[in-house]
Amino acid sequence: MIPDSNYVHAEIVVSTEWVASHVNDPSIRIIESNEDILLYDTGHVPGAVHIDWRRDLQDQLVRDYIQPGDFAALCSRYGITPETTCVFYGDKSNWWSCYALWVFRLFGHTNVKIMNGGRDLWISQGRPLTREVPKFSPSNYPVPPKRLDKEIRAFFEDALKQSQQHLPLVDVRSPGEFSGEVTHMPDYPQEGVLRGGHIPGAHGVPWKRAVNEDATFKSAAELRAIYQEDLGLKPDDDVIAYCRIGERSSHTWFVLTYLLGFKNVRNYDGSWTEWGNRVGAPIERV
Amino acid sequence: MSYPKKLADIITLMQGLPEIERREMLVAYADQAKKYEPREGEIFDLEDIRKDEECTDSVGVFLKVDEAGGCHFRIKLGPQVQTLTRAMTSILCKGLSGLTLEELQAVPQDFVPKIVGAELVRIRSHTVYYLLTRMKTAAAVWKKRQSRE
Repeated sequence: MIPDSNYVHAEIVVSTEWVASHVNDPSIRIIESNEDILLYDTGHVPGAVHIDWRRDLQDQLVRDYIQPGDFAALCSRYGITPETTCVFYGDKSNWWSCYALWVFRLFGHTNVKIMNGGRDLWISQGRPLTREVPKFSPSNYPVPPKRLDKEIRAFFEDALKQSQQHLPLVDVRSPGEFSGEVTHMPDYPQEGVLRGGHIPGAHGVPWKRAVNEDATFKSAAELRAIYQEDLGLKPDDDVIAYCRIGERSSHTWFVLTYLLGFKNVRNYDGSWTEWGNRVGAPIERV
Repeated sequence: MSYPKKLADIITLMQGLPEIERREMLVAYADQAKKYEPREGEIFDLEDIRKDEECTDSVGVFLKVDEAGGCHFRIKLGPQVQTLTRAMTSILCKGLSGLTLEELQAVPQDFVPKIVGAELVRIRSHTVYYLLTRMKTAAAVWKKRQSRE
C-alpha cells in the first residue's frame, strides 16, 4: 500500500517495492496487461502472468466480454482462486491493467490491486525483468454466478438515460476528441468513428489529469480537487465514465471508485466507438 | 503476386511456426531493430524523420540507393514505438533490401498478417502497415527528385 496516500481504499494501490517483495508470495498473482501486445514477451516482472485484454477478456465474435465460464477457465489456467490477490500492472499509465481489473470485478473477483506507476515505473527504478513465463498448477475457480453488468458497467441505453436526466457523465478523452475536432486520440490511429463530439451534458475530464508524470496516481487531495471541487461530483452520485473503447475510462472508474470512494460508478465500455457510430444518437460539440 | 525472395523466405519461416514460437521470433526481430538504425558516418540519399499525428512516436526512414538502383533502408524508431512495429522494422529492412524502386512499390501489404499472425494485427497495431507505406513514400520522393535533376 502507498503510505499516507489518504485514498479511501488505500489498500488497493500497492507500490513497486511492495510488489518486489511479494513476487514469490503464493497468495498473490501478478498480472501484466498492456496495449503493446508483445510487451510482456520482451520481459516482465518476475512471476507475472499475461492477460491480453482482447484475446483473454473479450468475446472473439460478439463485441462483449467473456462469459462467466470463460473467466473461471482463465483464472484456473493461472492457478487463481477467489482468495488469490490479483495485482495488476501494465503500460500506458496502467490503462489496460485498470481495464483488466475492472473485468475481474465484473465477475465478482474482489481481491484486486494495482501497482502504482505500472510497468514504466518498475523499469525506471531499475527493477528486474524476466522473459521466463511462470507456470502455476491449475486451480478450480468456481464459475461466477453472473457478470456484474448492472453494477459497474453501463450500456448505450444507460448512458442515454444519464444524459437525458442530466446525471453525471465523465468523458475522459482528450480535449480534441471531446470537442469533436478529432475522432481519434493524439498519437493513435482512427478507430472507425463516423461522428465527433461528446454525449450531451458530459463533462470533459481527460483521464491523464489523474496521474503524475511518472504514471503514479495523484494524491487524494489533488484528485478530490479535480473531480469533487472543480467538477462538483459527490461520492454518492451515480456516475458513468466513457472514452473511446473503455480502457481510459476504466482508469477513471478505478480512480473514482477506489481512490475517492465513489459508490456508484459505471464504465460505459461501448464508449465513443458505439455512440459516435450509432444512428440517431444525440451529440454535442463545443 | 510473388513476394521478393528475402521477404518470401521470412514469410515462409513465420507461417510454419506455431503461435508461441512465432511470438518468440517476433520478439527476436524486435530485439534486432536497433541494428537497422543509421550508423555514424553513413550518408543517405533521403532522410525522412517525422512523427505523424496518428503515431505513438517518431519514425525516421533513411534511404540509400546503390549504383544498381537497389534500395537499402535504415530506420530509427522513437522509444514509444510498439514491439510489433520494432519487429516489422527488422523484417522490412532485411526483406526488402536491394529491391529496385519499382519492385519496392509493387510489394503488396497482404504479407503482414502472414508474418505476424491475424491474432496480433489489431487496429492499434496498424503501424506495421504504416512502416511499409513510409518506406515506399521515401523511395517515391527520391525518384521524383531524381527526375527533376
